[in-house]
Amino acid sequence: MKENDTQDLLDFASKLRWEVGENFHDNLVEGIYTDAAQIAQKTEIRQGAPNPYNFERKLDQVLTSNKYGFPIMILILSIILWLTIQGANYPSGLLASFFLEFLHPLLKLGASQIGLPWWLDGFLVDGVYLATSWVISVMLPPMAIFFPIFTLLEDFGYLPRVAFNLDSLFKKSGAHGKQALTMSMGWGCNAAGVVATRIIDSPRERLIAIITNNFSLCNGRWPTQILIATIFIGTLVPAGFSSILASITVIGVALLGVGFTFLSSWILSKTLLKGEVSTFALELPPYRTPNVWTTLYTSFIDRTLIVLWRAMVFAAPAGAVIWMISNIYINELSVANLAINWIDKFGLLFGLNGVILLAYLVAIPANEIVIPTILMLTVSQLDLTGAGDGVMFELDSTTETAALLHAGGWTLLTGINLMLFSLLHNPCSTTIYTIYKETKSWKWTLFASIMPVLLGFLVTFLITKVWHLFH
Amino acid sequence: MFANLPHLLDLGYLLLSITILLSVFYLIKKHQYSLRWLLPFKHIEKSITEDLLKQLYNITSSQKTTDFRMLSGALKIPERKKLKIFESMTQKGLIQISDKYVKLTDTGKNYALSIIRIHRLWEKYLSEKTGFDKSLWHDLAEAKEHQLSKEEAEDLYEELGRPRFDPHGDPIPTALGEMIAETGTSIVGIPKGKVAKIIHIEDEPRSVYRQIIKEKLHIGAHIKILTSEDDYIDFESEGQSIKLSTVVASNIQVMLLTTQEVYEEGKVRLSSLIEGEHATILGISTECRGANRRRLLDLGFIKGTVLTLEYMGPRQNPRAYRLRNTLIALRNDQAELILIEKKQYDRTGSL
Amino acid sequence: MTELEACNSCALNNSAQLLKLGINVDHADFVIALAGNPNTGKSTIFNALTGLKQHTGNWPGKTVTRAEGGYRYKDHKIKLIDLPGTYSLLSTSQDEEIARNFILFGKPDVTIIIVDAARIERNLNLVLQILEITDRAVLCLNLMDEALRHHIDIDERTLSRELGIPVVKCSAIKKQGIPELISTIHQVAKRQIICKPHRIKGLSRPAQKIVDKLDKKIRKNYPGLPNSRWIAMRLLDADADIIEALKNGDFNLLLA
Repeated sequence: MKENDTQDLLDFASKLRWEVGENFHDNLVEGIYTDAAQIAQKTEIRQGAPNPYNFERKLDQVLTSNKYGFPIMILILSIILWLTIQGANYPSGLLASFFLEFLHPLLKLGASQIGLPWWLDGFLVDGVYLATSWVISVMLPPMAIFFPIFTLLEDFGYLPRVAFNLDSLFKKSGAHGKQALTMSMGWGCNAAGVVATRIIDSPRERLIAIITNNFSLCNGRWPTQILIATIFIGTLVPAGFSSILASITVIGVALLGVGFTFLSSWILSKTLLKGEVSTFALELPPYRTPNVWTTLYTSFIDRTLIVLWRAMVFAAPAGAVIWMISNIYINELSVANLAINWIDKFGLLFGLNGVILLAYLVAIPANEIVIPTILMLTVSQLDLTGAGDGVMFELDSTTETAALLHAGGWTLLTGINLMLFSLLHNPCSTTIYTIYKETKSWKWTLFASIMPVLLGFLVTFLITKVWHLFH
Repeated sequence: MFANLPHLLDLGYLLLSITILLSVFYLIKKHQYSLRWLLPFKHIEKSITEDLLKQLYNITSSQKTTDFRMLSGALKIPERKKLKIFESMTQKGLIQISDKYVKLTDTGKNYALSIIRIHRLWEKYLSEKTGFDKSLWHDLAEAKEHQLSKEEAEDLYEELGRPRFDPHGDPIPTALGEMIAETGTSIVGIPKGKVAKIIHIEDEPRSVYRQIIKEKLHIGAHIKILTSEDDYIDFESEGQSIKLSTVVASNIQVMLLTTQEVYEEGKVRLSSLIEGEHATILGISTECRGANRRRLLDLGFIKGTVLTLEYMGPRQNPRAYRLRNTLIALRNDQAELILIEKKQYDRTGSL
Repeated sequence: MTELEACNSCALNNSAQLLKLGINVDHADFVIALAGNPNTGKSTIFNALTGLKQHTGNWPGKTVTRAEGGYRYKDHKIKLIDLPGTYSLLSTSQDEEIARNFILFGKPDVTIIIVDAARIERNLNLVLQILEITDRAVLCLNLMDEALRHHIDIDERTLSRELGIPVVKCSAIKKQGIPELISTIHQVAKRQIICKPHRIKGLSRPAQKIVDKLDKKIRKNYPGLPNSRWIAMRLLDADADIIEALKNGDFNLLLA
C-alpha cells in the first residue's frame, strides 16, 4: 500500500463524511438497534404473562427507599467492618505467633548452626524475613475476610444499588456514585481500592476516585489508629469509658478521611480535572444468587493473594533497609539514630518526632510495619537493650507500649498528630505502583503521592500551633 | 500568655501568606487573558491585532466603515502601543485608515475569518472531546485562537470530522475563507402563536449566555411563542414554559418552521416522566455531545425506544429507567437532554 | 497429518500479531476470544471452560485488562482470552478499545459472544457490531435458566439463521450447555462450520449508499480485506484509531 494511496483514501473518506452529515453516528446506532429489534422479535418466544420481575422490584423498593436505603447500607457496612476487624484478631495473632515467636527463633538457631555471619543472618532473618512475615500476619486475615464478603455483595447485585443511593451525595463533590464502593474497598486496602476504580467508566470521576482513595483508612492503618487512640485518648477519661472514647476517636479519624475525600474530590473536579471528559451511566443488574464457594475461592486468589504478593515484594527490601539503618554504625551511632537526631527538630515542628518521620520514610512499602519500626527506633534511640535491639517488634501489652512511648517523649499532641499523619500521608508503595499501573501517568501518580503528605504536614503543623497556644 | 504570643503571630502569618498566595495564583489564572498587556509588546502584538481584526470584521458585516476613535477607545492598552499596532497593521495591508475611519482590506478580512475559524473549531473540539463546562468554552477558545497555527487548525478540522457548525450553531468558515450566511432571525420579533426552531444561541456576553443555558435551551429545539411583549417574551419549548427578558431573548436566533416540519406538540423532556409512566424516546438533544451522547446511544436511548421510570433514588436523583428489560440509572441533568413522548397507558404497567 | 496441516494454517500464522497485543500463543493451536455485555455471566463461562481461574462478577465493566486461560479439547491446545465486558464497540472508552483492537487486529480463530437470553434485543447491539468485524463467531445464549424463569424462551434456530452463526443455549452456573459450546467452538475453529454473518441493514438509504461507495474504494485499495464495510463505517464516523492505523501501516495486519 503506497502512502499517497492511503492519503487518497482518507481524503475520499473525509469528502464522503461531509456528504453523510454530522448525524452519521446516531444513524448507525439507530440502524443497529433497528436490526436488533427485528431479530429479537422473530426469535423471542414469550410464554404466559410477562413482567414477572416482582421479587426484584420489591427488593429494589426497599433497598433504594428513602426510609430504609441508608440505614440498611450503614448496617451492612458496620457489620462488614466489625467482622473484619474483630474476626481478623484471632487469625492475625495465630499467624504472628507462628511466624514471630515460633519460626523466627528457629530460623535464628538454624542460621547460627550453619554458621551464617551475623550480618547476613541479621539482614535476612531480622530484616527481610521479619518485615514480610509482619505484613502477612497483619494484612492477610482482614483481607481474607473483607474481600470475599464484599465480592459476595457485588455478585448478588447489591453494590450497584449502593452506588445508586449515594450518587446524589457524591455528585455534589463532582464524583461518581460508584466511588462510594471504591472508597469502602479502600478501607480494606488502598491498592485494591485503586484497582476497583475500573468500575467507574467516566475518565474524570475515575481519576478523582484514584487520587482520593488514600483518604480511606486502610487495614494497615486501623491497628495503628486503635493502638494510639487507646494509649493517648482512652487514658484521658476514667477506665470504664476509655475503650468507648478510643473507638469513637478511631471512627472520627475514618470519617475525617471521608470528609477529606469529598473536599479534595470537589476541588479536583473544579480545578485540575475540569477538562477531563465526564459521563454517567449506572446499570442496575438483576439480583442473582452468588456462587458462594467459587466466589470465596476466586476473590481469595484474585484480590487477596495478588495484593498480598505485591505488598510482600515491597516489604522485603524495606525490611532489609530497616535492619541496615539500625545496625550499621558510624562513629558509635547507628545510621537510624543519626537520621533521627538530624530530623527530630523538623518532626517537632509538626508535633511529631524524628522517630515517627523516619519510620514513615522507611516503611513506605507497608503501613503495617510502621508501629514495629517506631518501637524499634524508640528503643535504639533511648539506648535500651534487651527486646528489640535493632530488630522490629511489637509488645504484648498496651501498657508496656505506652510506657515505652512515654519514655520516648511522646505526649498527647504526638498521639493526635500521629493519628492524623497516619490518615494523611503518602500512599504505600504498593498503592503508588498500582496508581501508576491504572493511570499510566507519572504526573497523576506523583500528584496522588505528594498531595496527601503535604496536606498531612499542613494539618499537623496547624494543630501543633494551636496546641502550643494553650500549653 | 506572652510566651504564647510568638506562636500566635506565626500562625497568623502562615495562614495569611498561604491565603494571599492562593488567591494571587487564582486571580492570575482566571484573568491571564486580560492581563496579557503586562507582557512585553512583541508577545501581545499578535493577539491584539487578531482581536482587532475580529472586531472590525463583526462591525463591517453590519456597516461599511468604522470610526477610528471608537475602536481605539475600546482597546485597553497604553496609547503608545495602540499607535504602534495600527501602524503595523496598516503596513501589513490588513487595514486602511482614511480620515477617521478604519476599513478592513480583503487580506484583513481573510485573516479575521481564519481566526474565527480557529475559534469555532476549538469550541467544537471542547464540546466534543473534553469535559469543560459550556460556560467556559468561549473564554478558552478566545485564548486558543491566537496560539494554534494554521496546520494545527487543519489537523483539528480533520480530527473532528470536518464540522460545519460550532456548538452554538455558528457556521465555521472554510479554510478558503468562505462562510455560510446566517439566515436566522431574532426570537424577539416573532409574533404570538408562531412556531419556530432555534438555530443559534449567541455566547456573548457571558452573563446573558448563562441565563440561556440555565433554561436548557438548545439548537434544534422547537418553540412556540405564547406572548411577545416589549420587555419580555414567553414561549414554550419541549413542554417547558420559558419566560425571558427581551435583552436575553435577542441572543437566540430562530427560523420559522417550514411547511414540511411539524411542531412537536407532545415532545417533552425525560426528566418530566413520573414513576410508573411509559414513554417513547424521540431523540437526544444536540446539547448532549461527545462521549456522553455516544454512551447514551450505546445503552439504547435511541429514537423509538419505549421506556418507563421504575424508581427514583434519594432526592429523586438519579432515576432508574427500564428499557429493553434492563434497568439503567441516569442523572436528571442527562434526562433533561433526552426528549420523549409520554404514552397514555393505565398505571398498572402493562403495555 | 491432515489435521496437523490444518492447524498450521489456522492459528499460528497470526502469532506475531497476537504477540504484539501481548498474547503469547507459542503452544496454542487456536486462539479464542470471549466477548459480551457486562452482566451476562461472561466470566462464569470463562471459568466453566478453563476451570477456576478468574473471578466472576455481577458488576458492569469488571475485567478491564484481559484475562487469559486455556483448555484442551481433542488434542488441541486452546487459548482463551476474556475481553472486557462492553455494551458496544463504537465509543472510545478504554475497555471498548481493548475489546475492539483484539477482535480486529488479533483476529482470533473464534469469537464467542455471550448474550443474556432474557435481554437479547439489547445484547444484539454488540453482537451485530462484532459480526461486522469477524466472520468466525459463536453465539452463546447464557442465563437460559433465568430467562425461562421469567417466561422468555429463544428460538435458537431462527436466531442462528438470522445471524448466520451457530447459537448454543447455556446456563453456565448450572454447567448446562458447556460441552455443546466447546464442540461448536471447535467446529468453527476448524472451519467445519462456515459462518455467513449478518450485516447491518438498518442504515438510512442515503447513508447506506455512501457506506457502499467508501467500501468499494477500500476493497479496491486493500483487496481481500474481510471487514471493509465496517472499516468504511468507522472512517465515516471519524474513528481516530482506524485513521491512525491506516497512516502508520498497522492496517496491513488486517489483510490475509
